[in-house]
Amino acid sequence: MTRLLDVENLTLQFDTDEGRITAVENVSFDLEAGEVMGLVGESGSGKSVTAKALMKLNPGNAHYGENTKIDLHLEDGSVDIMSLKTNKEMEIVRGCAISMIFQEPMASFAPAITIGDQMVEQLLIHTDLNKKQARDLSIEMLDRVGISDAAHRFKQFAFELSGGMRQRAMISMALSTSPKQLIADEPTTALDVTIQAQVIDLMKDLVAEFGMGIIFITHDLGVVAQTCDKVAVMYLGRLIEQGPVREVIRNPKHPYTKGLLDALPRLDDLDAPLIPVPGDIPSPLERPAGCVFNNRCAVAIEGRCTVEVPKFTQVDATHSVACHFAAEALK
Amino acid sequence: MIQFLRFALVRAALAFFTLCFVSFIVFSLMELVPGDCAERYLAFKNSQGAMISVADIQAERVRLGLDKPYLQRWGTWIINAFQGKFGESCILRLDISQLLGQKIWLSVGLCLASLAVAYAIAIPVGIIAATSKNPYLNNSLRLVSYLGLALPNFLLALMIMLFSTVVFGDSLTGLFSKEFRDAPWSGARVWDFLSHAWLPVFILGWSATAFAIQTVRALMSDEIGKLYVTAAAARGVSGRRLLMRYPARHALTPIINSLGFDLNRIFNELPIVALILTLTEAGSLLIEALARSNDQQLAGAIIFFLTASIVGINFLTDMILALTDPRVRHSIMG
Repeated sequence: MTRLLDVENLTLQFDTDEGRITAVENVSFDLEAGEVMGLVGESGSGKSVTAKALMKLNPGNAHYGENTKIDLHLEDGSVDIMSLKTNKEMEIVRGCAISMIFQEPMASFAPAITIGDQMVEQLLIHTDLNKKQARDLSIEMLDRVGISDAAHRFKQFAFELSGGMRQRAMISMALSTSPKQLIADEPTTALDVTIQAQVIDLMKDLVAEFGMGIIFITHDLGVVAQTCDKVAVMYLGRLIEQGPVREVIRNPKHPYTKGLLDALPRLDDLDAPLIPVPGDIPSPLERPAGCVFNNRCAVAIEGRCTVEVPKFTQVDATHSVACHFAAEALK
Repeated sequence: MIQFLRFALVRAALAFFTLCFVSFIVFSLMELVPGDCAERYLAFKNSQGAMISVADIQAERVRLGLDKPYLQRWGTWIINAFQGKFGESCILRLDISQLLGQKIWLSVGLCLASLAVAYAIAIPVGIIAATSKNPYLNNSLRLVSYLGLALPNFLLALMIMLFSTVVFGDSLTGLFSKEFRDAPWSGARVWDFLSHAWLPVFILGWSATAFAIQTVRALMSDEIGKLYVTAAAARGVSGRRLLMRYPARHALTPIINSLGFDLNRIFNELPIVALILTLTEAGSLLIEALARSNDQQLAGAIIFFLTASIVGINFLTDMILALTDPRVRHSIMG
């Protein structure tokens, strides 16, 4: 396998009226080509902000930390994304080396521009194709993701397509430039369960075929278990546990990961009570000191978890966790 | 195409009915004014020294058809109105269509010009204001906008006149210089008209611009925050192309919608501004007809004209929307 992406110490803060808030703090992970990584966490944990940061799509009030490093390794050399300044320089990343699929397929297409026009526009920006070739490739891509009568759909607007079809069109648009890295930001959350399964299968097939790396953002651990090779769990802007999917799901070390797994409904035992993670995710304005999870954690050690930020401890070669309690237990 | 024609026809029919309905209200209001045309004219004659009897008034009523039932008279009035015949003015005893003549077109022209100026300024400025993060630019635009909204037009007109009279010795009033007032249209007269018309257009456009900037800015800010803009940026679209093709293109629909509303506002402000600047157009004639001489026939005709142009522009914006916005287009075409 070849290394595709290195993210080191990604820190991102936003200037707001209430002051500067930290959305992402010291997040580090890496991704191989052909690997699918699940990025899991509750709403507000910083998953989407992290994903957008890889393409520097966050709004103007965002500030990246000094030590933030994002390196994308392409065939003809590495791109240091943090050093790209202008939109023009970002073009190589946005929609070319990295493509992104969003949660709401309806809202991510411009309503008054045809799907075809938006696809062709992207191809004209990133490739040397002429209009006719770009059109043919777009129709071919629509066909590839299982949209029937693609030439007709090409001329339609997003509101004329069904939800599942819109997301397929979005996927085909994202893949049309053959990106090395795909970011899927809750691509199935807004879809029906049956459509969700179709879309996930489609994505799995396409990954195998195109050999790209995928970051799959979701709060659904069931989807993660099915699709991803490895998983990273985020809470309030920090990574708290990461490792191979099966390992993390079978042997979770962080109390928050355990909580997320316990909160999943179980089809094999319908009488089992659902155990929610107690409390709510705090606002980024009120981040707890020490371990950010300490105020919702059942096993938090007073005077330690409330003061000291836990470092990552290796559970084994690939599985690591940032928790004082888990670290003690491992000793 | 056939569906579009059908849509246009339905909208035209609706506009027609709106106009009929409005004409009924206008006509009823004219009727509610105490006294009628016959009484008013003869009272006017009386004040000029002529001896008038009750029989004279009765005869005049019959001559004007005022003895007929209310609805029948409305029917006659509306049928004539659509043919451009508004009968005679109560007091002046002149044919109204002659009296109004080109004045009504001057009024409509002034209002449309103000609207055009307002949006020609507001659309680019509003877009810049919505995208700029420069606090000085934003705050000064806000100040100008509030001034435009808060400063009444008549006050602005008076201030400009005062300033101009003191500094230049010219009060900047009227629409034509003396020598052109009743001259036939010619190149020189058009030039003379334009050299006078900029002031009322400026004054009428001033608050409309302020209002339109706020509208455009709000609509643009709304669109810029939408996901499809981020999605387009994520595909590598950037700079002016991103701005114009995505949020600006999509904010256009509600902007077109607001045109009719703004024209209405300008029409409302026209008579007062016209009175102050002593413009010889229909707005001042309306004040004259309503306030000074209670001339229902004349006032009714002017109000009917102004309403017709508002209904007209709303019809036009409906058509433009149907042509530019695929969502509207598809709801029509099925």
